[in-house]
Amino acid sequence: MKNDCKIKIIIAALSAALCVTSCAPVPSDNGHGEEASANEQASEIMQETVSSAVDFEHELDSYVPKKDHYNFYFTYKTVHPWWDAVALGMEEAQRQFLEKGVTVTYEYMAPEGASAEDQTQRLYEAEKQNFDVIGVDVADEEIISPILDEMIENGTKVMTFSSSDAKDGCKRIAYVGNTHNYQDGADLTEALCEKLDYKGKVAILVGSVGAPCHEDRARGARDTIAKYGDMEIVATEYDMDSVDLAYDLTLKILKDCPDLDGIVCCNMSNPVGAARAVTETESDAVIVGMDHDVEALRYLHDGVIYCLGVQDCYSIGYDTIQVAVKIADGNLPGELFPEKTDEITTVIYQEDAALMLELLYGDIL
Amino acid sequence: MKEKKQISNKTIVLTAIAGSLIVLAMVTANTLWTSHKTTIATDEAVSTVSSFYLEEMADRRARTVTNLINNNFDHMEKAVAFIAEEGIDSQDELRDNLGEVKSLLGLNRFALVDEDNIVYTQYTTYTGRSRHAFLSEVANNDRVITTVSVYGSSKQLCLAIPTPDLTLMGKPFKACFVQLDINEIVDLLAFDDHGKTHFAIYAKNGGNLSGTELGPVILKDNFFEALQNIVTENVLEKHRENFENETDGSITFDSGEAEETLFYVPIQETGWEMAVLIRESVIQDQIRDISIRNLKTSRYQIAFTFISVLALATVLLLQLRRFSGQKLEEEKETSRNFKHMANTDSLTGVRNKHAYAENEAVINAKIHSGELEKLGIVVGDINGLKYVNDTQGHAAGDRLIKDACSLICEYFKQGAVFRIGGDEFAVILQGKGFETMQEVIDDFNNKVEENIKENGVVVSIGYSVFEKDDHRLRDVFERADSMMYERKKELKEMGAKTRGE
Repeated sequence: MKNDCKIKIIIAALSAALCVTSCAPVPSDNGHGEEASANEQASEIMQETVSSAVDFEHELDSYVPKKDHYNFYFTYKTVHPWWDAVALGMEEAQRQFLEKGVTVTYEYMAPEGASAEDQTQRLYEAEKQNFDVIGVDVADEEIISPILDEMIENGTKVMTFSSSDAKDGCKRIAYVGNTHNYQDGADLTEALCEKLDYKGKVAILVGSVGAPCHEDRARGARDTIAKYGDMEIVATEYDMDSVDLAYDLTLKILKDCPDLDGIVCCNMSNPVGAARAVTETESDAVIVGMDHDVEALRYLHDGVIYCLGVQDCYSIGYDTIQVAVKIADGNLPGELFPEKTDEITTVIYQEDAALMLELLYGDIL
Repeated sequence: MKEKKQISNKTIVLTAIAGSLIVLAMVTANTLWTSHKTTIATDEAVSTVSSFYLEEMADRRARTVTNLINNNFDHMEKAVAFIAEEGIDSQDELRDNLGEVKSLLGLNRFALVDEDNIVYTQYTTYTGRSRHAFLSEVANNDRVITTVSVYGSSKQLCLAIPTPDLTLMGKPFKACFVQLDINEIVDLLAFDDHGKTHFAIYAKNGGNLSGTELGPVILKDNFFEALQNIVTENVLEKHRENFENETDGSITFDSGEAEETLFYVPIQETGWEMAVLIRESVIQDQIRDISIRNLKTSRYQIAFTFISVLALATVLLLQLRRFSGQKLEEEKETSRNFKHMANTDSLTGVRNKHAYAENEAVINAKIHSGELEKLGIVVGDINGLKYVNDTQGHAAGDRLIKDACSLICEYFKQGAVFRIGGDEFAVILQGKGFETMQEVIDDFNNKVEENIKENGVVVSIGYSVFEKDDHRLRDVFERADSMMYERKKELKEMGAKTRGE
């Protein structure tokens, strides 16, 4: 599977290189033709960018499961549409296993608000129920990682998935999800800095306290801003994956700093809350954020949000089930699956928004 | 007095052909005219009928969706009643029961929801508040029908009912729901259509839910966006209101290539509009097809009639030709018989004096033109014919003539023998007959002289050949005739009888 990811990356890189090569200026005595050609190529690149952001076409690999029934338990940070998208990928894998005569049942549970304590309790309860594998999207790496180690010690098969891995050194068997949250935060912030001409005041909306993915992105953002002397972080707030809280926090930040130039949003909820507040206050703050919330994509389309880093939730879900089956059969990371299955993040801009809306949601109701 | 014109065969044939063509032309013109009038009448009728047809089509499809929804609600109630009676204590039992009712009732993705918004399906248990926002409405409604656009661009129709009395595993359950994939609904609707009509399901904002093309103009696009450059803003606004108020309506527009008519009706409780479009209307096409088929049949009939008439005329013509040929042949035969009779001596069967005269004319022409080089004439006269007639009767005289003729013909086989008088014969010798003339004459005379002794037929002959100074055949004949008289005397002296005796 890691090899598959590598191949995907290589193909994407080659495609991009080809596109860049084909976009290179070619001497021509027809200026209009050159322009039209460039537009067509740009359009093709844009479509390629958007359509490769989420991969809905999956097929199970050649691995033959040892049992005809598996029962898993998955828990994630909080009830949120982002994990609903992950669930769709899981259900597709479940459906494909069923077609092969293998029944996969699972619980996919989360609290209404992100809570390491709630997650701890869920894990202890799940451990008693003899699931084949327990999967965790780590709410707080400091609190949860030791618990996972303890479960492994007890003989429970534990994996991490989706957005947040446990901290380095944790004994969990494997991770399927985003392995480059820091870089995602850095990339989004770099785009923001460039847009602001490398000067201005920036606020960071992190997400849940202790959530590795959110914290990593925030760290990437802080490190990027630190590179530029004329840029300043004026506020860092935790919205706890709540759109409403993100909205309130943004209003407060804008009140405290009316000349705010930019906002870095580290999860899927906060760009929506931030955009609502910026629109309401008619602020000029430039927003960069994460993921594919339909409202966020509309704000991107309207130019309120500058760019979004879209993760391939569907593939995360699909690969999670596939790896879980292999772990349940007693396999360890190696040839059958990597210790970390990396999933892609694609940064999209205003011109990509309509296509992404169409790709993910069709003609919106 | 004016002479009456005789009707010829040609006239009859031409009249027959002309008549046939006129009849054919009239039949053809009548058929074409009838077809044309039928097509016009059909077009007018179809314009009226097609809107009713479209409405019926749209209604039928809308009812299909409504029935599907109602059936699912009925089945959900039965499923809940079944599960409630099973005394389920564990999640495994619940999953088994969910699988059983799904299978028995054909419910697609049937799920139960507990009071904490935990969703239970046959294979999965998950927290569903954010995924199924419609669950928040269930408590206040008997039935909830919601259209959901799912990540991955698929669209679903979610049907939910509250389950206030349901408690399982010690937990109160608040609702159950099914998710119908709109693609499956579309498959259900695409019945016996054969691609002749187009249909699509729209949300209130004109968004295409079914992913089907509503004809070549609107395609899969948003209904209102696709029509904004085709109909006026006022018309479009009216239809926006219709969509919003869930009422029906119709639009006819010119797509540039043809006239399109569409009709839409609301699908109860869904907020959807079912639109059906027919390009130039199926009825129009179908009836036009019938007209075309009729026209084709008429053309075949015309062609058949034409071929039949042509064949008949041909047969008639051939019969007339054959008849004319036979008649002509008969006339020729009669003419030949008459000519034969005119040129043949009835008693002896050799050519008569008339034939001699015709030959004489031909030979004279050759003499005049210098073509004639060699020719001989033998003139013969029967000795004693009068005597036989007088003493033995005319029958015996006729026999003598025949015997004399036979004797002449026997010797002058290569000459043309003519009976030019009662007892006179002439033989014209040309070619080989001319070459052997003298030899034959000598033999003949020897025979005659023998006959005198044996009381046989005696014929006196004289002969002559064509000379350069001769101007006509008569000159040659006269020399032969003179010689014949000399011979007659000579034979008399030998004992032959003469006419006078």
